[in-house]
Amino acid sequence: MRRLALLLALAAPLAAAAARPTVVVDAPDFRPLPLAVPAFLAEGDGRPAEEAAAVLRADLALCGLFELLDPRGFLADAAEGLAAPSIKFGRWATVGADGLVKARVRRDGAGLAADLRLHEVRAGREVLQRSLTAPDPRALAHRMADELVRHYTGEPGVFRTHLVAVRRSKEARELVLFDADGKNPRVLLSEKALLLMPSWHPDGDRILVTSYRGGRPELWVYRLSDRSFRRLPLGHVAMGGAFSPDGTRLAFTAADGADTDVWVAGANGTGARRLTTTSALDLSPAWSPDGKRLAFVSDRAGTPQLFVMNADGTEQRRLTFQGNYNQTPQWSPRGDLIAFTARDERKVFDVFVVSPETGKIQRITQDQGRTNEEPTWAPSGRLLAFTSDRSGVPQLVISDPRGERQAPATAAAELATPAWGPFPRE
Amino acid sequence: MSGAGTSALGRPDRLWPMVLASLAAHAAVFSLTGLARPRPALEPGQQPIQARLVRLGEPRPKELLPRKEAPPPPAAEAPAPAPIEAAPAPSPRAVAVPSEQPSPRAAAKPGPAVKPGTPGGARLASVLSDMKQELQAGRADGAADGDASEAGEGDEYLALVVRQLRQGYRLPSTIGDRERLFLTGTLVLHIEADGRVSRYVLTRRSGNPAFDEALERAVRETRLPPPPPPLRDLYRRTGLEVLFKI
Repeated sequence: MRRLALLLALAAPLAAAAARPTVVVDAPDFRPLPLAVPAFLAEGDGRPAEEAAAVLRADLALCGLFELLDPRGFLADAAEGLAAPSIKFGRWATVGADGLVKARVRRDGAGLAADLRLHEVRAGREVLQRSLTAPDPRALAHRMADELVRHYTGEPGVFRTHLVAVRRSKEARELVLFDADGKNPRVLLSEKALLLMPSWHPDGDRILVTSYRGGRPELWVYRLSDRSFRRLPLGHVAMGGAFSPDGTRLAFTAADGADTDVWVAGANGTGARRLTTTSALDLSPAWSPDGKRLAFVSDRAGTPQLFVMNADGTEQRRLTFQGNYNQTPQWSPRGDLIAFTARDERKVFDVFVVSPETGKIQRITQDQGRTNEEPTWAPSGRLLAFTSDRSGVPQLVISDPRGERQAPATAAAELATPAWGPFPRE
Repeated sequence: MSGAGTSALGRPDRLWPMVLASLAAHAAVFSLTGLARPRPALEPGQQPIQARLVRLGEPRPKELLPRKEAPPPPAAEAPAPAPIEAAPAPSPRAVAVPSEQPSPRAAAKPGPAVKPGTPGGARLASVLSDMKQELQAGRADGAADGDASEAGEGDEYLALVVRQLRQGYRLPSTIGDRERLFLTGTLVLHIEADGRVSRYVLTRRSGNPAFDEALERAVRETRLPPPPPPLRDLYRRTGLEVLFKI
């Protein structure tokens, strides 16, 4: 009888499940993880530790993954140790921390060394320990940030990467290198001639730039390693170049009279071949991360729209059908989105993303100044940088790919055409 | 009579034919019931319902670039339901939900005060009004409290349920993108006549404790609308299956 009762009890839910309504709940609200980064312990001079902690907090806040808790609210003893047995986790739980970052910083020759620890507050245990070295506090903090991002996401962090952008002034056009957080600007080139649209080689050393140094727009390559600046032998009026993801080819726009088309060539500028042949304007090629496709802009349909084609020029198809001025495509390293600039019906420029597969467009910026433009992807695909005049003068803004968290990264400084570099080679 | 019955139950050789006969009879009844009843509303392989309430308003012209959706207006605070005893759980994993008020974090926050009499306040009100008009793309047959510009398939009650659950569906941003591709979890909610979830069962876990914990928190913190009267028994006894995905 007991078996029978069991059978009947099992059968009833099965019968019910067949008629049970089902709904799908998606689009979760991703919330940053509450993280506490108290002052680092220091051996000797405390200033490097103080600066490293400040830079680390800024990095972690910028990446959008974490909510940095205000150190002024911390209840724990400032002299609390690094290891789990010495930590009163209840006090960190009280202030709402899920994660607790501890570090001790000391001088190491000409540079710095740190013992980094990450603790899970609820579990009351250490989950990460790293011994790190770096030449200065900023570099040390960026290394720490990358380690923490990798721990939580399983993906490499971007804080040791760099951005370049063109800074405009009355006297010159400068190619400026920034840390990934938009700080620490260094002028690589200062030219009286126009300088436009830098683009990185995947080796992280070469930067392709459109320069008018020769009296007409041509592609030049700047090398960080030897600070050389050399013209590519394309033999064309060329602009807006982009190296392929494997670094062996480059795509660019070349003009022949009033007609412009998309071309590809070897990375050294040889063997150039035209991919588009319409009489319309075809320009601004951007590689897909697998190097098999190119996004580009064409006005062949009457207004500038985004198109996609195979890397050999075949199967050209229109991607965007909304808006009448879409430009500057940049393919996400993840391959799932293309960021671009578009002018909307209010005549303001904003940043959007479009799926290369479905053509669905999502807006990133809205009512944030009159011009948000020229997006570029972090190599992780988790962040976008673009220029914005929301503070009056174009500055770099870093955003998540949905535009939900945006933060100005540089001072307002007439910046244009930013390009985010690749992961550093270990 | 009672002595004969006691005797039959006490002898296994007489009991087993009766058990087998009973099993066969029940199997026949289940089969006939299954054949005779109409097809279920949803089959296992059928696409689950994804419903959205369309906002009342004019559709945005298709040739224009999209505007960002405005956040939905804060829901009115519902009165606290009368406590209902949790039904006995059908499996050991069923969890009784205390009839608690929604989390303070889910409650509507008052916006910044605007002084209508001041020039700045008037300008701000005017700008907000313009923005609202532009953002309120919808459909002429939409609902006054709709929150989507395009229609989805489904009924109104389930649309409200999805909307409420989505408001409490919060995940840590640190969940990696690879995990986001496949993380899903399923719960069955048993919903009382006043909308209270009397119990839920996590029928399919994701394997990620942070994700599963977030699903349970979403259910615990969400107050659902009362089911329509004809469906109250269905949602209380059979329950509603909710597939959470990213």
